[in-house]
This record gives sequence, structure tokens and C-alpha cells, in this order.
Amino acid sequence: MNENRDQVLTQEAGEIARLLSYVALLAVSIGMFLEARTIPTSRFEALGAGAFPMLVHVLLILLLISAIIGSVRQIPAEAYPRFASQAILWAKTRRLVLLMFVFLIIYITAMPVIGYPIATLVFLLAFLLTLSPKTKKAVALCVTLALLFSFGLNWLFAEVFNVFLPRGR
Amino acid sequence: MDAFLLGASEVLSFSTLTMMFFGAIAGIVAAAIPGFTVTMAIVLTLPLTFALPPLQGVSVMLAVYVGGYTGGLISAALLGIPGTPSALATTFDAYPMARKGEPGRALSLGIWASFFGTIISTLVLIVAAPPLAVFAVRLGPWEYFSLIVFALTIVASLVGHSLQRGLISALIGLAIATIGTDPMMGRPRFDMGFDALRAGLPFLIVLIGIYAISQLATEVEDPKTIHNGEKLVKGEIKFNNFAVMREVLAGPVNLVRSSMIGVAIGALPGAGGSIANLIAYDQAKRASKTPEEFGKGTPEGVIASESGNSATAGGGLIPMISLGIPGSAVDAILLAALMVHGISIGPRLIMDNPDLVYGMFIAMAVSSLMMLFICVVSMRAFLRVAEVPKWVIVPTVLVCCIVGTFALNNRVSDLSLLVAIGIFGYAMKALDYPLAPLVLAVILGPIAETNLRRALMTDNDWSLFLTRPVSLVFLVAALLSISWAIRGILKDRRKTKQVKDVA
Repeated sequence: MNENRDQVLTQEAGEIARLLSYVALLAVSIGMFLEARTIPTSRFEALGAGAFPMLVHVLLILLLISAIIGSVRQIPAEAYPRFASQAILWAKTRRLVLLMFVFLIIYITAMPVIGYPIATLVFLLAFLLTLSPKTKKAVALCVTLALLFSFGLNWLFAEVFNVFLPRGR
Repeated sequence: MDAFLLGASEVLSFSTLTMMFFGAIAGIVAAAIPGFTVTMAIVLTLPLTFALPPLQGVSVMLAVYVGGYTGGLISAALLGIPGTPSALATTFDAYPMARKGEPGRALSLGIWASFFGTIISTLVLIVAAPPLAVFAVRLGPWEYFSLIVFALTIVASLVGHSLQRGLISALIGLAIATIGTDPMMGRPRFDMGFDALRAGLPFLIVLIGIYAISQLATEVEDPKTIHNGEKLVKGEIKFNNFAVMREVLAGPVNLVRSSMIGVAIGALPGAGGSIANLIAYDQAKRASKTPEEFGKGTPEGVIASESGNSATAGGGLIPMISLGIPGSAVDAILLAALMVHGISIGPRLIMDNPDLVYGMFIAMAVSSLMMLFICVVSMRAFLRVAEVPKWVIVPTVLVCCIVGTFALNNRVSDLSLLVAIGIFGYAMKALDYPLAPLVLAVILGPIAETNLRRALMTDNDWSLFLTRPVSLVFLVAALLSISWAIRGILKDRRKTKQVKDVA
């Protein structure tokens, strides 16, 4: 019974999240439609550079409005107050995903400054050690992989493919 | 006949065969690593072939190409990430099959279907290349635009749980494709002042971000299974090659139909392999006695997708050779390679250098034979990727994606784009939007726009889209695919309602 209720709550929260996504996409789409209208047309062709984007955004806006109406009709009123707690629960269960994206953002921000090998070494060590089981063998494997994919890959690309990965400042 | 034999003698020399062998291995390995696409493998092979005679160089590239089409299957089946866009439909069934404990069967089915697909397409090419090229020449921008509309509606109605979200996803893809300079006049659009957006979003980065990054993020969703060192693919990998070969050949209609779709779609310039696998899959589903099994790991789905996409490798050569229009990004690089080797692409090629053209066809067939041999003999070695636990795969493949993205254009700003698209892709996936329509729309968007504008430049009359027969057929097919999907949804709804009423 409890499981069923949990499932319904998750479904409701998912539908509210989707509704929010429709609204956000609608705002972006309207913005881009207005921007497309300002693109000057050419006298050499019937359609200007803005026509195709406008066509796409009109269709997208119509679809999003119908999706919003459908969602609002489907979601019961009492589901909205429960949404915040469900969203926090969702984020908690997916903490590793959020951590992965945080690591990635730091990694690519640092790469142009400290260079590919060091940035990758630190990123891989941090991420691998977070995910791996806590055994000596696993830690040794983490260190080996981090070295291989940072300095090893850097060497391979430079020497074999003549592609020079960012060297840092 | 002389030209055929001359081409054959050049391709079948020991040195060419050896190089093609390594090319095929490189293609398979490259496409098997998600984020390290066959396009990159071909780009990296290109400089290595400069010193070779034209046919030899092109044969090696073709081997990489054929190997790559098959290699895309490995990551599609085992990781659920299509190594190339052409392996998109393969993920629908090969991945569930692998997850259900039959990874060996999924791969084996795909490999054999790929092999037969390539062979069938090569045979068709040799016989029917000239009339097909003539047909492709007659298609105008109206037909291309309608074809793309048809392709997008098919994908939107085919994947995911909701037609509405499928269509929204396709339109988001088209909207993303409009960022950057417009394809006709070069006018800047929607770059918001960022240099990185000025040239538009390169579709390979969108592909890697949407598929690889978001898929990898999905893999780390459950902390418990990660820390336990769970493997991506469970179950023993058994190939049973001959049993699978018989299984593939037991459904000749599906195999031949899918291959023919692959050839026909591949022959349409601008369409390319990215659509063929989806249409072949869709047709197989419609013709099947058990359509409800599609998407759950049915062998028919794997066979349709893989034979369809491999057959386009051959079909794609038709417009490329006869018109000089590449079918996809991979075809574009192959085209560049031919030009680097001093081969002028166009209708005169078949007349002036028939030995070269036949040589290319033979190289295709030989490559697929090599691919089959390599896969059957040493697939176990390639499959070590399946025995590696998730906690190793996710970070290292992420680094491969980063390196692959950087190496495409040597631009650090592409990496920020990649991560941003990855986060967006994960959010869409979490919200149950299908990703395939978006990715395909990003690839097809510029082609659709160019053809729409070109059509109206030629004649400012919208009714031509409906009065030209081929264009009308594509548009009617698009409408049918949507109504078919709506009918399915209504049927499901009625069923659930009945079940609820009974309860």
C-alpha cells in the first residue's frame, strides 16, 4: 500500500517537474521567437534567416501550451505543496550525479589554467576514489587509471595523433 | 568487366588488405568507445593515408568506415550509448537484450546483421547504382524538406512514452540547430554574444553531450550498486555464432527489407545513415507479428537496425560519388578524403575512373568480411569493456568524451558547451523526454532549412510541397506516422480505463 502511495507521489512530482520544464521552455521559445523577428530579411529570397526559426518556435510554443494545459488538468491541487519535499528527496538520492557534474565543471574550468594532464589527474583521482569500493586494490587501480588517462593519453595524442591537449598557462 | 578486375586486383593486393585490416580494427575500437566516434577515427586516419595511392587510401578509409558502423553496435548494446548516430535504433533492443543477460547474443546478432546488410547493399550498388543516382538527381528541395519532416515525425512517434514530448524534443533539436550562422546567407543568429555559439553547436558535441554524458550520469544514479562494484553488463557472454547466423538468415524478409531501406535512404543525399536505422526499425515493428516485443530486446529489432545502418554505408556512396553530396558527417569526411587523393567527385567519375568506383565497391565488401572475421575471432578481447565495473567506466569514459570533444576542433570552449549540453540532456532524460528526436533534429535542421528556403527561392509557392508527388508521399507518410502513434495512445488509454473500471 505504502509502495503504491510512494509511486503516486513520485509520479505527481515528476508531472509537476515536467510542467515547470514546459513553462521554462515556453519562456525561452517565446524569447527566441521575438529575437528571430528582429533578424533582417534578404531581398534575394522569399524567406529570411529568421523565418525557419520562427516556424520552429511557433510549432514549439503551440505544443508547449497544449502540454501545459494537459499537465495542469492532470495534477491534483494537493500535489503542489508536496513538490518541494519530493524534489529534495530526488536530489538526495541522485547525489552522485550532482557530484559528477560539480566535478566536471571544476575540471573543465581548471583545465585551461593548469593544463590537461594535471587537471585530469586530479579529476580522475577525486571522482574514481569517490565511486570505488574502499579496498587497497581498488585504490591502486584508481591511481594507475588516473595516471594512464592523464599523462598517458596526453602523450599518446601529442606523439601519435599530433593533437596537443591544453597545456595550461 | 576490365575495370572491375583492375579495381579488384588493386584492392586485393597484400599491402592494401593488411592496411584495411588495421583500419577495420581501428574503426571498431574507435566507435566502440562512446564519445570517440567513427568520424574522429576517420579524421585521424586521413593523414595516415596521404602517402598511399588513391584507391589504397580510400580502401583503408572505407575499412575504418565499415568497422565503425559495426563498432557503434558494441557501445549501443552494452552501454546503451550509440557510438554513432546510426546506432540509435540499435539501443532500443540490443541494450535491453544485453541487460536481460544475453549480451553475447545481442552483439552477435548485430554483427551478422551488419555483415549481411553491407553485402546486400554492395550487391545492389553494383547492379543498381546508375538508376538510383538518376532518381536521386531528380529530387528537388521540396522532396528533401518533406523527407526530413517525415524522418522527424517517425522518430518522435517511435521512441519514448509520449508523442507530445517526442515532438517537443524534435522541435528543441531544430531550435538548437538554428543557433549560429544561418546556412544560406551566413547571417549570425541567437549567439547571445558568445564566441563559442557563433559557429553554431557542432552536432558531434551535441551527440556526445546528450548521449554519452547524460547516459554516464544515469549510470551513477544509484550509489549502492556503484560502491558494490557492479558491472554494466551481467551474464555470461556467449556468441554461438552459427546459431545466430541461422537466426539472422531465418528472417530473410526483415533482413532484406531493412537492407533495402538502408540502401534507398543512404542513396538520398543529405539523409544518410542516421535515419535509415530508425525507418528500418519502424518498418520491422509494423510488419512484425509481435510488435509489442519491440523495445524489450527482440532480435528482429537488432537485425533491422543493424542491417539498415550498415546498408547505408553502401547506399551513401551513390550520392557521394555521383553528386558529390555527403549523406552524413562521416560521408563528408570520406568525400574530403577522396578529394585529398585527387579524385574529382561528380557524374564524370563513373565514366572516367570506373576501376576506382568498382574498387571502392569491392573494398566495401572486403571490409565487411574483415569486420566479421575480426569480430568473430577476437570479440572477446573487445568485450573486456563489459567486464569492467561501472566505477571505472564512468570517469574514464568521461575523460575520453572530453578529449574527443577537444580534438574535434582544438577548442577549449567546446568543453563548456559539452558539459552544458550534458546537464541539459540529463535533465531531459530525468523528465522523460526522448533524446533521439532531439539529436536527429540537430543534424537534420540545417538540411531542412536549406531545402525549405531553396524551394521557396526557386518558386515562391508553398503548394508545390503538396503537388509534387514524391514530396506529397513523404508528407502523407509523416501524417500517417503521427496518426498511427495517436491511435496507439488512444487504444492504450481505453485499455487502462477498462482495467480501472473492472478493478
